[in-house]
Amino acid sequence: MFSLELLLDAVVLGVMVGCFYAAVSIGLSISFGLLDVPNVAHPALLVLASYGAWLLGDFDIDPIVAGFIMMPAFFLLGVMLYRTYHETFEKRGSDAGVRGLAFFFGIAFIIEVVIIMRFGVDQRTVQAFYIGKSIEILEVRIPMRMVAAFVVAILLSLALTLYLSKTFLGRAIRAVAQDEAALRLMGANPVAIKQWAFGIATAVVALAGALLIIVQPVEPTLDRAYIGRTFCVVVMAGLGSMSGTLVAGIILGVAETIVLTMFGASWAPAISFTLLLLVLGIRPQGLFGR
Amino acid sequence: MALRLAATGVDARYGAVRALNGASVTVEDGETVVLLGTNGNGKSTLMKCLMGIVRPVAGSIELEVDGTRHDLARLPTEEIVGLGVALVPEGRRLFPKLTVEENLMLGAFRKSARAQIATNLAFAYEAFPVLAERRRQLAGTMSGGQQQMLAIGRALMSSPRLLLVDEPSVGLSPLLVSQTITKIEELKKKFGLTVLMAEQNFHQAVRIADRGYIIVHGEIAFEGKTVAELQSNEIVKQLYLGGG
Repeated sequence: MFSLELLLDAVVLGVMVGCFYAAVSIGLSISFGLLDVPNVAHPALLVLASYGAWLLGDFDIDPIVAGFIMMPAFFLLGVMLYRTYHETFEKRGSDAGVRGLAFFFGIAFIIEVVIIMRFGVDQRTVQAFYIGKSIEILEVRIPMRMVAAFVVAILLSLALTLYLSKTFLGRAIRAVAQDEAALRLMGANPVAIKQWAFGIATAVVALAGALLIIVQPVEPTLDRAYIGRTFCVVVMAGLGSMSGTLVAGIILGVAETIVLTMFGASWAPAISFTLLLLVLGIRPQGLFGR
Repeated sequence: MALRLAATGVDARYGAVRALNGASVTVEDGETVVLLGTNGNGKSTLMKCLMGIVRPVAGSIELEVDGTRHDLARLPTEEIVGLGVALVPEGRRLFPKLTVEENLMLGAFRKSARAQIATNLAFAYEAFPVLAERRRQLAGTMSGGQQQMLAIGRALMSSPRLLLVDEPSVGLSPLLVSQTITKIEELKKKFGLTVLMAEQNFHQAVRIADRGYIIVHGEIAFEGKTVAELQSNEIVKQLYLGGG
């Protein structure tokens, strides 16, 4: 039944969920949004990071701390992935897009299979002092784990926005997709810039993956539920906009939570794709696309 | 403090199309040299060869900086920029979705240029006050003339010694062309630059030139050691001055 109270609940929780969606999408906002790399392996890397946080949990390491610990390793993984993609596909020019898509699908599939073979198909969870408790915001009970995700998401998008606008490398990352040849004239090597940026995008996924296993139990094929969500958020944001990613994440989060509250959970997965199609149809440049 | 650019017998192709055919050009320290020619005669290709964007199939391109010789035909663009060469490209090639100031800052991407970034930024704003007024505006939303100023300002941010300017007049009104050319001359004096400018607007280009070349079908058709020599040349009369 519809009630105002229920709607308020849904909106407040939706904002929290939305910030979490922004956090798991923001790496893709760099790799796909800014670098034009069709990184469909993004959600699989996310799940991989969740398993990393779960493994580190055995050593009594807090999942968020685990996320930070995994960042250098994920940075290197990202650098290697981009290098391989560049050498085998991107360098060869125009049809790189479609073949690159196949490459990253392959990577996603390999990650999924490796996780299944190594850890099985069971759901995994982590322990932390903020998991299982809840607090009240605007008379709505919010699980503490959502608050943790919310805070990290805000800080992450803030840090990336600053990095991309205030540093030499950050500005070069934003410039590289706009005009690679012109960037070369500035004395920068576009491939090195993209490689660095893809490394950062993947390092961010390490932290986002830790948030994922804080928010919900993780199983090897969970990445499939996040392909639609992450791409929806990034496209809705307007490719490559960090603050836009936060707003788009919140829109998706609120929309999902409202539909979930009003019509039931079975409708939720359709929301992201519906929003994605709406955005592509009505405003293909995204909400914050310039 | 010596600088000398010498391109000798440069051949360049786009697939089967010959864009440059044995083109030779020299630029001495402190000169303003113009490369004159109408569209499609190879001016831009030569500029791109000098920057390492297009690789010549034959010939040599040498830059002498303070006694050291560098083979520009083999160096990557980034390193050529590092030697103190900057190109203001045809069509300006700004980053349209970045602000004016962000475009300027990218001009100083090289580590060696970052040390002088505050000075150079102040110079750029002083030379083009309109850029200072619009520093937060997106480059792509500015007028053609303002974009050309930004492109020149951005090139100066790398503290170049040799400034290459490719067709600064494209898409500008006659008044703006005149102002842009005057500005290049002004900046040249202020920064002690050496300038090589490709241009099809003969009258404007020779205003600031010491000497020049005329390029026809990828070949240097005439080398004028003075502006007077250029003006009295038969090809120039035919192409630009309406003479028979």
